[in-house]
This record gives sequence, structure tokens and C-alpha cells, in this order.
Amino acid sequence: MKDVMGIVYTSKDDLTLRELTSQRAVAAVPVAGRYRIIDFVISNLVNSNIRNVGIIAQKNYQSLMDHLGSGKEWDLHTRNNGLFILPPYLTRENGGEYAGILDALRANFDYLRRSTQEYAILTTSDYVMTTSLEPMIQQHIKSGADITIMYQQVTPQLTEFSASSKNNHVYMDIAEDGTVKDLEINPNAASYGNMALNVIMIKRTLLIYLVDQAISQGLHDLEADVLRPAAHSGSMKILGYEEKSYYRRVETIRGYFNLNMDLLKQGVFEEVFGKTPVYTKTRDSVPTIYRESAKVANSLIADGCVIDGTVEDSVVFRGVVVGKGAKLKNCVILQDCYIEDGVELENVIFDKAVTIRKGERLVGPKQYPIVIGKNVTL
Amino acid sequence: MKRKKCIAMLLAGGQGSRLGLLTKVMAKPAVPFGGKYRIIDFPLSNCTNSNIDTVGVLTQYRPLELNSYIGSGQTWDLDLSYGGVYVLPPYATADSSEWYKGTANAIFQNFGFIEQFDPEYVLVLSGDHIYKMDYNKMLQEHIEKGADVTIAVRPVPWEVAPSFGIMNVDGENNIIEFEEKPKQPKSNLASMGVYIFTWEIMKKYLTDDNADPNSKNDFGKNIIPNLLRDNKKLYAYAFTSYWKDVGTIASLWEANMDLLKDPPEFDLTDPRWKIYSRTPVMPPHYIAPGAEVTGSMITEGCTIKGTVKNSVLFAGVKVAEGAVVEDSVIMPGSSIEFGAIVRRAIVAENCVIGKNAYVGEAEGDIALVGHGTALPEGYRVKAGEQVDTEEITRREAAEK
Repeated sequence: MKDVMGIVYTSKDDLTLRELTSQRAVAAVPVAGRYRIIDFVISNLVNSNIRNVGIIAQKNYQSLMDHLGSGKEWDLHTRNNGLFILPPYLTRENGGEYAGILDALRANFDYLRRSTQEYAILTTSDYVMTTSLEPMIQQHIKSGADITIMYQQVTPQLTEFSASSKNNHVYMDIAEDGTVKDLEINPNAASYGNMALNVIMIKRTLLIYLVDQAISQGLHDLEADVLRPAAHSGSMKILGYEEKSYYRRVETIRGYFNLNMDLLKQGVFEEVFGKTPVYTKTRDSVPTIYRESAKVANSLIADGCVIDGTVEDSVVFRGVVVGKGAKLKNCVILQDCYIEDGVELENVIFDKAVTIRKGERLVGPKQYPIVIGKNVTL
Repeated sequence: MKRKKCIAMLLAGGQGSRLGLLTKVMAKPAVPFGGKYRIIDFPLSNCTNSNIDTVGVLTQYRPLELNSYIGSGQTWDLDLSYGGVYVLPPYATADSSEWYKGTANAIFQNFGFIEQFDPEYVLVLSGDHIYKMDYNKMLQEHIEKGADVTIAVRPVPWEVAPSFGIMNVDGENNIIEFEEKPKQPKSNLASMGVYIFTWEIMKKYLTDDNADPNSKNDFGKNIIPNLLRDNKKLYAYAFTSYWKDVGTIASLWEANMDLLKDPPEFDLTDPRWKIYSRTPVMPPHYIAPGAEVTGSMITEGCTIKGTVKNSVLFAGVKVAEGAVVEDSVIMPGSSIEFGAIVRRAIVAENCVIGKNAYVGEAEGDIALVGHGTALPEGYRVKAGEQVDTEEITRREAAEK
């Protein structure tokens, strides 16, 4: 789809992920052993042949820049189009963060105007899903809709990871012909059974027009100020597109933990990694080495680790050392952690490069895993 | 353009016939090694780490795999606008078209390439050894000693010396004699196939050699003896770290096993001397409940449900429940099905070892299953045997 551009909005509201986002954007949070959340979003765009991808960055975008680089891992380092990282720049109106996606798009009007594609796909970068966007693109073009909103029917699994958070949760009333009749934003109890997945398709010129209109009227919220009034009045044709792939938004520590655990299930793993490749920055790690007393069951282990202990029901990122006699159960251990001999860990999330000394024991409650921040030595 | 001080020419054209079925579909330098590498990653990474940024890779035999693997050279940071990695196959000219006749001839045919960079020195490498070497140190010695040619040598055990090209040196490491596979070696310094030539000398000797119709156009057989005859200064650069020729099934298997020792005989983890490789994009590997993995190397995309002991598994390998892999090397994309037992074996890329099949034995020579073979259920490959799809068909036909 040469005629579609992708715009990825990285949000700034990271509070619910606590330590994990104290030094990085949600989009840059490591997940599934070797990825960052944004890898899934960008891979979906690239695998749908979208060649112009703009990343709207806000606060804490250093680790995102570092991760994305020139975009070569996603084959986005091309002469034309490619990857554009759009950092916030300070102006009188702009203090380095945006009031919402409309604000962010307004600040990057030049990029939007300069792009040549007819259509744009707008997406957030706070979810894990592997899918092709081509069916949605086809539906959008064929139906002649002004705006197409991706949604999924609400199931307990879809929302269980984010129950306590109410950040941009949009539920939609969708008529039988697919028309979106109403949008409900952050309700305490949703009246509609369709949750928007924060992926929207629209003509680029219409998007420019809508953004300009809204901002000039002092409006900042895409869903509440633009989409809802249009759905009510019927001034634009807004259709829903039902996406059935595995989708989990990462909003809370528990949700983050459960998502990693979920990937240990064969069916979920296949849904996320079995369809199309998910690209990420490579690190030239060596293969993982298992020593004589290693005992591993039901775990995902990335490259560059040295395992000499017991690891069960866990996700272990690149370059982690698990010493002799150490026992890990239900853990998410990020890159370069060092777990010395005899350590016992259960229901624990370690951010990057945590070291835990010989013989220590750390057991968190199952429902509320303990998080240890980056570079800490216990 | 700025003159390059030293450029490398990597001889990657050989078939490597001693690797049997492993090199049936690819050249030796493209053979996988160590879980996520190919043999050529070692000389290429050594170049990058030694600040040698211009490398010509001379290909001839089965170049497809190698060409696509090298690509733009980005993996080794060799995608440069001036310099970088170039694949150099034989080519036709207005009045001749020739294959590379020998190692020296291959380089002679690419003088045009070398001259573009106007180098002072040319480093000649081969694509069949596993080692980490700072070529820059060797170049420094070459310059300091004022040598015309410097040859890297490594002491080998005396009992295997007769199978190498042996350098006899004087007290100052000047080479006084070269003997190809001597029955009674006078020294145990084996040539590593790594040479540094002062470009002017290389130009003269390779040109003369090309004009000699009786020459085999080989560095060992012709060029070095000619240099010695003319009393040129040939210096032996001693290298004592890990260096392994992986030209045979047994030595390739052994070199893989060397990685599994604790501490390993050959360490790939040195952050200051990384070995770069072009890796497929795959998720972390999954170890299922009930699996047993010890003393092994496992990489991305693998799914292990059975038992893996003392083995090296490449990307995307699947080991089913009840399957056993022991003392073996399983190359990318291969699958070991339920109940199959693989021992002391090399299984090449994209094979399927059928249910309850046996490959190799607990003792004896290394068994080999060739590229893309689907081994039928219950099939047996004995120690030291090599099979591929053709061989299986032949055997089945013979039985009928």
C-alpha cells in the first residue's frame, strides 16, 4: 500500500507503569524477551507495505530514538519516505508534550503536508498485536468511508489487563451496516460491547482539515471533540472495522506482567509471532548457554543468557545470567540482569541490569508483582 | 580519492569438498557455525574489528548463498560509500573468460579492484577458519620488520603438523623454508592462510606467476617458493590464540563442541571483539514443560519439548517431545520429531528427522544429514554416514 502513510502517536501518560516508564515512553517498554512495544506497531505497518512512518515522540523519547535509529531493522531507511521521528520542539505554545493527538498532529503539520500518500493510518503505540492492516485498508477504500475505526468485541480477556486504568478507553455503538453511531469515552461501565483499538484510517487531506478546524476552535480531543459529534450528526461517514487478532493494551504493571505470562501459552505465542515477522533492533548477542545444572520449563528465553539455575513460567530477556541453584518462578527479567547463585525469585519484574546478590530471596504476591527499577543492586 | 592503507581479499571460492554433503548447495564460508554464525562471519568481523574497512570477497563455487548473506555488508558495518565489502566473482573480458585457476590467480584477476583503492598493503584471508585475530597488530609487525610478505603461523601439535603447510624460521622469525604437508616436519608452525603483502611485491610476483604457463597459480605452491628463491623478506607472525580449521565434518563438529565447554575454549562473548552475523528476525526460544536442556547453546526461534544435551542448536530448530539430541549440531530450521534420537551428528539446514529415526551413534564418527533432507520415520543413519534426499532415494531403489 504505497498510498498509505502511518502515524504512530507515543503517548505521555505513563504513570500507571511506574518504574518501567520512569525513564522511557510506553512505546519503548521492553516486552516478550527481546522487543519493545512499538516494534509490533511498526512491524504491522511495514508488513502491510506502508513505507512512510512518522513517530510522534514526546517526553522520554531518548530510548525510543536509540531503539529506532535509522529504521533499518524495519527496512524503513529508504531514499524516499522511510522512518521519521518527530520529536517535540519547543515553541511558545509547545512545552515538549502535547494535549492530545490533535495537538501533536498540528505541531507536525509540515510533515503531514509534505507526505504524498492519499491515506493515513493513525495509531497509538501502547498495545501488542500482530496483524495485517491490508483488510482494513481495503474496506476503507471500498466503502468510501471518511473515517474507519478499528475495534474489537469486548471480552473479559481483552480488558482484564487494563481494568484499573481509564486512559482513552473508547467504546462504540456500531449499527448493522458498520456505521459508528456513538462513542463513549472512559466510561465507568461501558454501555457498548465494542472497544476501539486506537487505530484509525482517514484521507490525509481530510485529516489535515479536521486537525486545523479543531485546533482553531480550541478543541483537543479527537474522540470527544471530532469523532463523536460527527457520528451523532452524520456529517462524516464513520465505519467500524472489526479486528479479531490478539490485542492487549499495556497500561498497568499487572497488565504488563500478565501479557508476558500470556505469551507462554502456545496459542497466544502463535497469534503474536506465528503470522508475520515482528522486527526489532538486533544486538549481536551470542546464543544462550545452558550449563549442566540448568532446569527450564515453560519459559521464553532470549539470546545471550547464561542459565545454570531453575527457571519456570518466566520470560527472560537478552544477556541475563541465572546462577547455579537460583530459582525463578513467574518472573519477567529484563535485559542484562544478573541473578547470582542460590537466589530465589517469584512474581517479580526486574527492569534492565538489576543485580541480586547470592542467596537473596524475593517473593511478590501473585496479583501484584514486585517491580525493581533499572540498575538496582539488591 | 584517499589512499587505503590496507585492504583485504578474502578467498571464498573453494568448494570445501572435505565437508561432503554440507557443501553440496553452498560454499564452505557460508556453512553455519556456532548457533547463529557462518564461517565467513569470523574473517569479516575480524576485519571490522581491526579497522580494515575494504574487503573483496572472491567467490566461485555456489555463490548464491554467500552473495545473499553478505548483501550490502551492513551486518559488519561494511556498507560504506568508499570501501566496504565487495563480492568478486570471476568475469569475462573481451579476449578471455576464465574461472579462478588458483588462489593467486583469483587475486591476480582482481588487480583492477585493488588498484581502485591504491593500497600500500593487501591482506589475504581464507574463509575456512574459526578464530579472532587483530590483523592490525600483524600489519604493524609487517611494517616494523620491513617485510615484503608476512605470514601468520600458529604452532600445532607435532603429530598433526604433516597435514599443514609448515614454515621453517630462523631465530628472528624470518621464514627460510616452506614445506607443504612435510612427512618429517622440521617445525610445527602451520601457515594459517593469512598473508600480508606489500602491494608492490604482490603486484610483481602475481603478474610474473600469471605469465608462467607451468604454474598452479597457488600461494603455497608457487608464490611463496618464488619469493623465498629471490631472498625476499618473509616474516612469520606468530599467533597463539584459538584457531581451528573447520574443513572437515569432524573438525567442524569439534569446533562447535569447543563452544560448550565451561569456560569455553573459544569465547564469543567478548564485547570488545564481537562477531557479527546476519540473524533472522525470530522471537526468543521457548522451553516447554517437561523439556530438558543442559550443556547446550540455544538461540532464537527454537522450540524445545524434548531433551537436548551438549549440543548447538541454530535458529528456528524444533525438538519434539520424546526426541533426544545429544552431542550434536542442528542447523537452522531443522526439526527433530517425536521419539527421534540424534547423537554425535550434524544435521544441516531445513531437515526433518522423522519420528523415531536414529541419526548417529553414541560412539564413532560423526553422522551427517544433508541440506533439506526429510528423513523417513524410523530411518537409521549410522555413525560416520552421510545421507541426503538423493542418497535415501538411491538406497530405497537398491532395496527394491
